[in-house]
Amino acid sequence: MTALDSVLTSEDYRTVKGFFASSAHWFVLAALAGLFLASAMVAPDFPLYKNVAWLVFSRLRPMHTNMMIFGFVGSALLGSAYYYVPHLTRSPLRSPGMGRAVVWLWNLTVASGTVTLALGYTQSREYAEWVWPVDILLLVVFVLTFCNLLMTVLAREEKLLYVSIWYAFGAMIFTFFIYFFGNAVWNPGTGAITGMPDGILAWFYGHGIVGLFLTPLGVGLAYYVIPIVIRAPLFSHAVSLIGFWTILMFYPHIGTHHLLQTPAPTWLKIIAVTGSIGMLIPVLAVLINLWLTMRGKLGQIHADTGGKFVFAGLVWYLFVCVQGPFQSLPSVQTVTHLTNWVIGHSHIAVFGFAGFIGLGGIYFITPRITGRPLYSNKLADIQYWLVLVGLSGFFLVLTAAGLIQGTGWLYGKTVYVILPELHVYWVWRLGFGVLIVSGAVVGLYNIMRSLYGSGAVGDEQ
Amino acid sequence: MRMTLKLIIYGGLIVFAPVLFISVILPWVTISEHPSDIFRSRSILENEGRAVYIENGCTYCHTQFIRSIDWGLGAERVAKSGDYVSEQPHLLGSERTGPDLSQEGGEHPDDWHMAHYINPRYVRPESIMPAFEYLGKEKIRALIAYKQALGFKDADFRIARQRHWKARAVEAYGSGPEKNVEWLHSMVPEPWRHLANPYPTTEAGLRRGHRIYQGFCIGCHGPVGDGMGPAEPYLYPPPLNFTILKDRGVSGGILYYQIMNGITGTAMPYFKRELESEKIWDVGNYVAVAFIGQSDAHGEPRGIDAAYLSPLPGVK
Ligand code: HEM
Ligand code: HEM
Repeated sequence: MTALDSVLTSEDYRTVKGFFASSAHWFVLAALAGLFLASAMVAPDFPLYKNVAWLVFSRLRPMHTNMMIFGFVGSALLGSAYYYVPHLTRSPLRSPGMGRAVVWLWNLTVASGTVTLALGYTQSREYAEWVWPVDILLLVVFVLTFCNLLMTVLAREEKLLYVSIWYAFGAMIFTFFIYFFGNAVWNPGTGAITGMPDGILAWFYGHGIVGLFLTPLGVGLAYYVIPIVIRAPLFSHAVSLIGFWTILMFYPHIGTHHLLQTPAPTWLKIIAVTGSIGMLIPVLAVLINLWLTMRGKLGQIHADTGGKFVFAGLVWYLFVCVQGPFQSLPSVQTVTHLTNWVIGHSHIAVFGFAGFIGLGGIYFITPRITGRPLYSNKLADIQYWLVLVGLSGFFLVLTAAGLIQGTGWLYGKTVYVILPELHVYWVWRLGFGVLIVSGAVVGLYNIMRSLYGSGAVGDEQ
Repeated sequence: MRMTLKLIIYGGLIVFAPVLFISVILPWVTISEHPSDIFRSRSILENEGRAVYIENGCTYCHTQFIRSIDWGLGAERVAKSGDYVSEQPHLLGSERTGPDLSQEGGEHPDDWHMAHYINPRYVRPESIMPAFEYLGKEKIRALIAYKQALGFKDADFRIARQRHWKARAVEAYGSGPEKNVEWLHSMVPEPWRHLANPYPTTEAGLRRGHRIYQGFCIGCHGPVGDGMGPAEPYLYPPPLNFTILKDRGVSGGILYYQIMNGITGTAMPYFKRELESEKIWDVGNYVAVAFIGQSDAHGEPRGIDAAYLSPLPGVK
């Protein structure tokens, strides 16, 4: 416990707690939505959802993705930032009241976005589907969070700013602008511009939201957790600097790698592919830096529940970011683009990388704000294996299905002809989805008991 | 480098500005927005249909751009930037769980689409697309109008052809089974009409034909080939009852041609893109044997037998 804890009461942590509790709830809801999606691809006429407008696959899909990105992962990462920014600067959160209000606003954002999507109000561009009023709510949350954390940092005693703080501020600034421009907020009617430029803008946004909202917050959290768990300083300040500035420079350029096979301008495609390969620099900078920090101490990391999740998240990050540049190559996309391969990638990215680190943040920070151990480390362990096995299987079967689609199409088979070949993989995906949903439910119970319950179960001797 | 708040915030903004300029503003202002050769603007109804398409998330499973490597629906024309000049929001899509739709207009007549939205499995038995019956007939009609305009002028051309042949098909259907069959056969080019199915009837062939029938035909023509599949109530002229073909001069060649080419104007689509030669012969023979009760399989003229044929009764 640091010096700060002596001056803070549990009142001061209600923002963090609120975000964590929200995250756990959204995880369950969003995973259930994912399960319905997976089920609809296996049994489209199942009476539970057949002809139910708000449960139809194509309305549920944006509900699932936005609940996951903003509701589950977003809440976990923002909640963690509300913890580590005050801690790293030894300066209590400037306005706890505003923090709590932000938790409610954030949940209102995700909830109203989900409900409006269910009712068919959508702006249709991936991850930018929420309609204008919801966009505004989200932007307000970011402005308030930025101000609150900025005031906190300005009032600090500790002069040095640790990397996690750079990433938190980088994420807030970039997310605000990317969200603002990407959603064409000045055009409330459609939230879009016209023609091919809209495709380009939409993917500038789409990649920005995973790359400059989830990624810096996830990386920042990993930078925070790892050194504390192993009680050793970060390997290199210089390498962190390289990682930080290059991610800001490369990531926002590469959205057009989603459009390589469309009539977007060639020069922009070249920038996107080059930038995508260049992404190896910030990714490897982060991973090498953290690896050299924790080398030889993997035992210590895995002895800590939060540390274990964060570590797994970093391994997923490695996979994602080796796969990402690879699948940005036009020759690779000839096979992989538009297939389930990409769905595999998006799940190990948003869930494997950002989601695991978010869960790690929750488990690492919760005992530190409640002042007592987790309700159950065993349950957290069970969740860890459920989601790890679930996601690994999910990734493998979808990658296989994607290759079947891609090679089949290339040979000249039609989409319809290949569908029956995919069925078995989608059944497996449903099965792995059940594991992930179970993990989410176990997590919800454990996290709620840890945050608001009265003590730990006696499972740690 | 000492990281200060000022550096992070101003530095961040300074990095963001050129990025926004290069990756968004520059393409936005430099993409020449000239309508392409096929472009036309949409009618009010077509735009309403587009709104239904958006509301219900069709874009998550269907792309709207044809690539140079594509086969299948729309592959005749690779997408151009000028096709999209009126798109707001864009509906390019990022996944092909279903086929690309950018040239869908006029592929099928309206009644096929109606059956397909009520339940896709009615016309495409192995589809995994959700049923959209909940939309109601009104919205489905708007959606169909939009769908039929995908491909703009190319689509208009195809629609005109559908209308032209639909009138003929309806007239033929109205004049009774005898005349209808006569008309259908007269639409098949002469050489095909006198062509027998060159391959013999075998158990394996029938099994394959049955499998194809279930995957592609059963929704309209029904499990017993009487044209009473689940799609039947929506289609006019209704799907053919195969049993009426008996003793009316059908041949393996006619069946092959019709399966390959479809019968434009009716809900019967062409299958040449999904079924290779052997599959078409097999399903044709399955229909002949199982429903018509007459097959000219392995009849003359058939040329030299294919090498794989093993000695069967009557094989030279
Ligand atoms: C080195 C970094 C990365 C590169 C170069 C990269 C590259 C790509 C490419 C090329 C695609 C499109 C594939 C296609 O459509 O054929 C893609 C899709 C995607 N990526 Fe990444 N990726 C990277 C990291 C990440 C990370 C860190 C996340 C999330 C935290 C992420 C989330 C996604 C998602 C959600 C999609 C699916 C988009 C969609 O089509 O809906 N990626 N990525
Ligand atoms: C219960 C577990 C899950 C199941 C069964 C599931 C299932 C699905 C399905 C069926 C899709 C649509 C794929 C398609 O259109 O072909 C999808 C999309 C997506 N899911 Fe999940 N999902 C699960 C968990 C998650 C988690 C935990 C996350 C992130 C934290 C996530 C993030 C996403 C994203 C970003 C997409 C969009 C992918 C793209 O556009 O490329 N999902 N999911």
